[in-house]
Amino acid sequence: MNDEKKLLNVTIDGVELEVPAGTTILAAAERVGAVIPRYCYHPGLSAPAVCRMCLVEVEGAPKPLASCVQPVQDDMVVHTNTAQARKARRAAVEFLLMNHPLDCPICDAAGQCELQDYAFETGQLKTRYVEPKLVMGRDKVTPEIVYFADRCILCTRCVRFMDEIAKDPVLVVINRGQRGYIDTMTGELFENPFSINIVDVCPVGALVNEDFLFKARAWDLDQTASICPGCSQGCNVSLGTKEERIVRAKPRFNPEVNSYWMCDHGRKTVINWGAGARIEVPMARDGDELKPVDWPQALDALSEAIGNEPGRARAIVSAGASNESLFTLRRLMEELGSDGGVFRVPTGPEAELPGFPKLKLRRDRVPNAKGAELLGFQRSDAVFDSAQGHRGALFVLEDTLEGAPDGFGTNAELFVYIGTRLNPAARSADIVLPSTTFAEMAGTFTNFEGRVQRFEQALRGPGLARPWWLTGSALLERLGAGGRYRTAAEVFAALASEVSEYEGLNYEVLGLKGAGAPGSSAAATAG
Amino acid sequence: MPIGVKTVDRPEVESSYLRATLKGMALTFKHLVRPVTASQQYPEEKYEVSPRWRGTHRMAVHVDGRAKCVACGLCPTVCPANCIKLIPAEDENGERYAAVYEIDEFRCIFCGYCQEVCPVEAIHVGVHYENAEYSRERFVYDLERLCAQKHPFTQLWDPEDPASE
Ligand code: SF4
Ligand code: SF4
Ligand code: SF4
Ligand code: SF4
Ligand code: FES
Repeated sequence: MNDEKKLLNVTIDGVELEVPAGTTILAAAERVGAVIPRYCYHPGLSAPAVCRMCLVEVEGAPKPLASCVQPVQDDMVVHTNTAQARKARRAAVEFLLMNHPLDCPICDAAGQCELQDYAFETGQLKTRYVEPKLVMGRDKVTPEIVYFADRCILCTRCVRFMDEIAKDPVLVVINRGQRGYIDTMTGELFENPFSINIVDVCPVGALVNEDFLFKARAWDLDQTASICPGCSQGCNVSLGTKEERIVRAKPRFNPEVNSYWMCDHGRKTVINWGAGARIEVPMARDGDELKPVDWPQALDALSEAIGNEPGRARAIVSAGASNESLFTLRRLMEELGSDGGVFRVPTGPEAELPGFPKLKLRRDRVPNAKGAELLGFQRSDAVFDSAQGHRGALFVLEDTLEGAPDGFGTNAELFVYIGTRLNPAARSADIVLPSTTFAEMAGTFTNFEGRVQRFEQALRGPGLARPWWLTGSALLERLGAGGRYRTAAEVFAALASEVSEYEGLNYEVLGLKGAGAPGSSAAATAG
Repeated sequence: MPIGVKTVDRPEVESSYLRATLKGMALTFKHLVRPVTASQQYPEEKYEVSPRWRGTHRMAVHVDGRAKCVACGLCPTVCPANCIKLIPAEDENGERYAAVYEIDEFRCIFCGYCQEVCPVEAIHVGVHYENAEYSRERFVYDLERLCAQKHPFTQLWDPEDPASE
């Protein structure tokens, strides 16, 4: 903390506390657990104090003060919930509801709408406004964001996001007073790689993502802490799932990685991730055919094949596989004598968020390239070359095998495919093991700067699909190669004790915000 | 007697069936000439039920026949039996509507919460009790069937005394 900053005494709702000079009343109140209603204030943006929703009573002040901008003064006595404060906020809500359509039944924000919450809380069931409501209709602001002008409360959060964070000041408030609405100056659609954040900051249902429009009710979604698999930045997200599908991803606050934001590419990538035709059962080769088998049979077949000494092992892995799965494969390959493994990295144009330069949509469009590297796998542009002529054991872990040459893997003594979808090239495998996507298991990814971040299981894997670290370690146990892992945390503990970059890390230390390994560039931000 | 069967001696008047038969016939003749009207001639005569009777559902429709439901998702949320299936979608005018709306009347406990919660007075429980069907599947009412019902809507509360005081 800054030494120059003086500590001030303040009493909020009867609780005395000390806060550094410059703290707003709203921030100070949060520290004592008094949540003051707010619309225009967003912790990631500047505060213009336009909505008047955060009014509180301050002893000695002639009228209620806007707590989102009012700095605390020494010996201030604040009441957030007195009759005067409530009356002021009630009036603010009444104004906001003047022309509001109250179409909550068909509004996507219902259930996660701050206006709905406070209108309910202030108990305004009847309007005193007798004039007909102004009807303005809807419009698009980007190709995928719909703007319902009637629902807008002109808090200008979206305008400020574009100005201050995206630094692409395309949105403006047009007209004044009750005729005001949000649009681009020219009325044309705009495009920005971070545009959907304006949907997140909108406290009501005025800005809606078409991808989500009418899809689900906020209260129907299960939320799971996860990591965006869209690029090597590793934005912290919360996955919204419904009926075993990912319906949306919303950014989860992490000041070291993505703040309150994430890019549009990530959101789109993650929707329905892993849905569609999947490998659901293990399969083993029987002559020309792949026959479905159960897990004990598959592991028997595999340990028998490994017992026949197929030769040294090579692998093609996916940089979207978790550290735990990659580590389990590495151990298995070491049993056979490892010839190393390769992975490929699809790339795309980079995009930076100027107002929070730590966050970039990175060129590497996979979440765990760094993790694969740290575990000794090699990045390669021609992954199939090294594997093509290989005569020993060949493992493919979660690579799609898209673009594999004809007859891929046929030279190998043993070809094992571990993955989620059965690409034609994978059909020549001797053994196929179904694995799960990142959303169907717990695990960790290591982002571009070496920060290790955990994700939790959001969905059930289809059929008999199991995380590879689980089945792989069961196999290792059969081979007499040591302990079996029962949780992802156990695998990570084993990994951390073997790989120096992860020394001292475990699931507890990582928490849900991740940590950098000591010695890595992310170390300074650990904890 | 090989095993201990006990024979009870009863006077002839008691053990004869004649007496009972005649008694029965007397009753039959009595009803023949003077029928008792305590039972009801169902199905010719229908049973009168209260306007607050909660029976199988009916969906209110607009004049053009479209269901009034706006697919808000409140009734599937409130339903304690979890028997309403709703899939919302966007129609050609960009409005929200129920692409799939089904109620499993077998699982329904006829609590009437769905009617109470509906913000647009679309779904209603109904004053209706004749629900026999030849198959179980027919008890899952889809939107078309719910809209086609003609029986009166249930009055969940007395309009004179809405708070039941
Ligand atoms: S913005 Fe909020 S209050 Fe307004 S219709 Fe939508 S859910 Fe209701
Ligand atoms: S669209 Fe939403 S975020 Fe933008 S001014 Fe209106 S209410 Fe605020
Ligand atoms: S009456 Fe009750 S149980 Fe039946 S569908 Fe409605 S809410 Fe569900
Ligand atoms: S509560 Fe009414 S409008 Fe909402 S889904 Fe049910 S029937 Fe439709
Ligand atoms: S939150 Fe303080 S005025 Fe809007």
